[in-house]
Amino acid sequence: MMAMSEKFSLEFNLKAGENNFMSKNNKAFVGWIKSAPGITISGSIILAVFATIYSGPYILVNVIITGGMLALVATGLTLILGVLNIAMFAHGEYFMIGSLTAYYVFTPISNYVNENPDSILAITGPLIAIALSMISGAIAGVISEKIVFGPLRRRSTDNWVMNSFLLTVGLSVLLINLHQLIFGADFKGIVRYWGGMPTEIAGVFISRDRIMAFIISAFIVLVFWLFMTYTRTGRAIRAVSQDVTGAQIVGINIENIVLLTIALSCALSGVAGGSLLFMYPSYPTMGLEPLYMAWFVVILSGLGNILGAVVGAFMVALLKVMTVEYVGAGWDFVVPSILIMMVLIFKPSGIFGSEVRGVLDK
Amino acid sequence: MLLEVKELDAGYGYLQILRKVCLTIDKGEYVCIVGPNGAGKSTTMKAISGLIKPMGGKIIFNGEDITGLPAYEITQKGIAFVSEEMNLFVNMTVQENLLMGAYIIRDKKIQRDRLDFIFDLFPRLAERKKQLAGTMSGGERKMLAIGRGMMSNPTLMLVDEPSFGLAPQLTENVFQSLDVLAKSGVTIMLVEQNVTKTLSVTNRGYVLENGKIGLAGKSSDLANDGYVRKVFLGV
Amino acid sequence: MRAKDEHSAGEYQNAPDVDTPLHNGDTLLQDDINPFDMMLQKTGFTPVGLVGVILLLALPFIPPFNQEYLLRWLIYAAFIAAMSVGFDFTSGYINIVNFGYAAVMGYGGYTTSILAINLGLTPWIGILLGGVNAAVLGLAIGMTSLRLRGIFAACLSWFFGLALMGLATKMVWLTRGPLGLRVPRLFETESNLPFYYTIVILLLATYLICTSVVRSNMGLAFKAIGQNMDAARTSGINPVFYRVFNFTLSCALAGVLGGFYAHFYGILTPDIMQTSKTVEVLAVAYIGGRGSLWGGAVIAFPFIFIMEIVRSTLSNLPGLNLIIYALLLILVMIYYPGGFSYFFDEHLRKPKNRVLRYLMNGRQVN
Ligand SMILES: Nc1ncnc2c1ncn2[C@@H]1O[C@H](COP(=O)(O)OP(=O)(O)O)[C@@H](O)[C@H]1O
Ligand SMILES: [Mg+2]
Repeated sequence: MMAMSEKFSLEFNLKAGENNFMSKNNKAFVGWIKSAPGITISGSIILAVFATIYSGPYILVNVIITGGMLALVATGLTLILGVLNIAMFAHGEYFMIGSLTAYYVFTPISNYVNENPDSILAITGPLIAIALSMISGAIAGVISEKIVFGPLRRRSTDNWVMNSFLLTVGLSVLLINLHQLIFGADFKGIVRYWGGMPTEIAGVFISRDRIMAFIISAFIVLVFWLFMTYTRTGRAIRAVSQDVTGAQIVGINIENIVLLTIALSCALSGVAGGSLLFMYPSYPTMGLEPLYMAWFVVILSGLGNILGAVVGAFMVALLKVMTVEYVGAGWDFVVPSILIMMVLIFKPSGIFGSEVRGVLDK
Repeated sequence: MLLEVKELDAGYGYLQILRKVCLTIDKGEYVCIVGPNGAGKSTTMKAISGLIKPMGGKIIFNGEDITGLPAYEITQKGIAFVSEEMNLFVNMTVQENLLMGAYIIRDKKIQRDRLDFIFDLFPRLAERKKQLAGTMSGGERKMLAIGRGMMSNPTLMLVDEPSFGLAPQLTENVFQSLDVLAKSGVTIMLVEQNVTKTLSVTNRGYVLENGKIGLAGKSSDLANDGYVRKVFLGV
Repeated sequence: MRAKDEHSAGEYQNAPDVDTPLHNGDTLLQDDINPFDMMLQKTGFTPVGLVGVILLLALPFIPPFNQEYLLRWLIYAAFIAAMSVGFDFTSGYINIVNFGYAAVMGYGGYTTSILAINLGLTPWIGILLGGVNAAVLGLAIGMTSLRLRGIFAACLSWFFGLALMGLATKMVWLTRGPLGLRVPRLFETESNLPFYYTIVILLLATYLICTSVVRSNMGLAFKAIGQNMDAARTSGINPVFYRVFNFTLSCALAGVLGGFYAHFYGILTPDIMQTSKTVEVLAVAYIGGRGSLWGGAVIAFPFIFIMEIVRSTLSNLPGLNLIIYALLLILVMIYYPGGFSYFFDEHLRKPKNRVLRYLMNGRQVN
């Protein structure tokens, strides 16, 4: 079905060579530390610790929250790249759809809660809004597959990677401007999800919304990882990403997997948008930033590497937060862009990627 | 009759390769298709297993018309295809690959039993069950591909060039394991380059040339046929 | 305006019975062609293309286009047309989307503007230097993306673009950031007419440069690389040179066009480096027909006009024009990947009438 010249696939490891990240073996650990992932991961941790000591713990808090959100968006991007072989340019738009949904669901809820402060909705309301943002992301993904990618796949898979990429460009422009046409270009934001005093953790005050945002993203990433690793369907998704023909041979219905994958990955993007509505109000072009950040993550961590994407998300978040802190606001995509360009130029397979397959034109 | 292929036309895009190919296989038979490179042997197998849609003709399996069904449904009906390229999941371990082979079996217990059966058949795979498929040697990969095909407990196995690119010793291994399978009652359709060897182990054979069936008959007869000897065996 | 059948990497593989000789005119002995046809063929124009050029030159005097605001639309359309030719030179031939194309254009624009403002350099030289500077950038992008597969080369050029735009925004001491630079205009006049002729000449020059390159042996090499790097390499084509050369030239053209843009509008902000600007050029190039060069240039005019009309008449529906163009891009990509140039080849280039056929194809046998 998909005769494609370029193929990405999903992996689950943070390996370079034979040394495993989790290895208890001391020698292996030393080897790992010296490898590219070892250097970058330990380097990032050290950097984060120093920044925290130097400027205060809020740096760490920002990194964790941004990283958690980015992990959701980037794993979705990686998933689509691995299974559908689509270099997604419209991924940020599902983020936007998620935040838009959360806004329109949460605003009436919050009005109601203002009048009835004791209502149970004060606690469950935000969760409802966030859940619906996830669902709307999934629905938008399924619709895109049905009316955009599916027809192209049926028509021709020649030069698929480039053609599907251009389609996502069109899709992105379409969704951005539909938002503007229907909902207007103004900022649609909320003041807060959960009221109440900020919680104190280790001497830092963190708002409940931030804590919840992190818990939600951590929870979803965990569930997603378990799903991909241990369930029959998760394995089927990985199988499709590694060998489409092989997957067909063993009896996997590719069309279902494709649909499920796009639904899942757009849901991840949507829920990220929904749970961060209190920080980033919804507006038409809001998706661009999560999009390129997620691409940074994917390129940094190697293609189709899910665990790598999670780790990479925190690194990119660290990079961004540190840039804003020490170089200045507005530089936060100049410096990361340049660093990611370096990665592409000098280590094109990414830090956790294997050398065999990937971005190189052999 | 287990499988009946009637006047099958198939190809890629606008390019037709097979012209009116007819084949039959009875239950328990060990049948081969031989023919020169590019004759359309693999194409025939891909068409039967549903990887490409036939342009015309009929494929009947177990009395049921399966023409044009998607590959996953054909697998569910009991046809396993071991392709020339093997199409293994390179980033999964041997064991995971085998379990993927049993994807259509939902019962965990049966899956376990099949896995044990395969490990008995190919002890080599049992030794390396934690190894990534992508890091295995050519011969081991062939075994894994055949093992994965067996996992779904198929009624009919289509095996495409299992000895391609293998050292003679390994080729012997692969033929032996196919023999074991055939003896255990699995119906096998084998495509091979190694004509002498193939005709000596199978019951019946077809000669495919330029997308058409040229000759058909008992393997022993084919092996003695003047034309086959001249063209394929060079004598 | 129309080159002979330069088809791009692989989108016609689905249509089995289109046989397209590379140069229709070549079947005729050179001596039999009169100098006029000879000139047309050398420059990659058909008679109808020439008519198009003449029309373009006469347009400012034909009502309603003699109004200044329509002239401004025309200038913008010609600008996008030229950009799409340069863009297609890369994407339609070596099959790599230069996603930072608008940023490269802006880079050229900033070069000449800063030279003009700070050193008082005349825009005419500045524009050329902008082209040179952009060429250096193109060289850098081409060199660094050399090892990467198509889609990642696109990513790299995109990141280049993002970084450039970020720099233009943040290097306030040089670029005044989002406030934008006040750039001296190319002509000290209220009339748009001289600007119009300048951009039309730039458009023609861009087209001529690109066609002359792709109609040489280089064009074949580009396509070979675009379709299959390995095959190209084994047949003795050195992809390094061709890829880098292609990037350098197309970026140089963008740089010059960026200079014109700055000196026409008189104000330059980092906004012109936005990804959405690249997308606009990309849409025009693809709807026009990739790998044709002329398709985007022709389509740009009706396209920009429709967009402007929708925008100005339905201003209560913001974004509608962009929705239309996104839908067009999606529909073309799925259902008609050959774009307008393919449509032209299939349906308009083969009329029965001899005169019409001459018009559409130039001189050819039978
Ligand atoms: N994916 C494909 N697309 C187009 N043509 C193909 C494809 N696969 C095989 N062919 C062509 O089909 C013909 C038969 O191929 P195949 O069935 O693989 O031959 P065999 O297995 O007998 O060597 C060959 O001419 C080959 O070039
Ligand atoms: Mg074959």
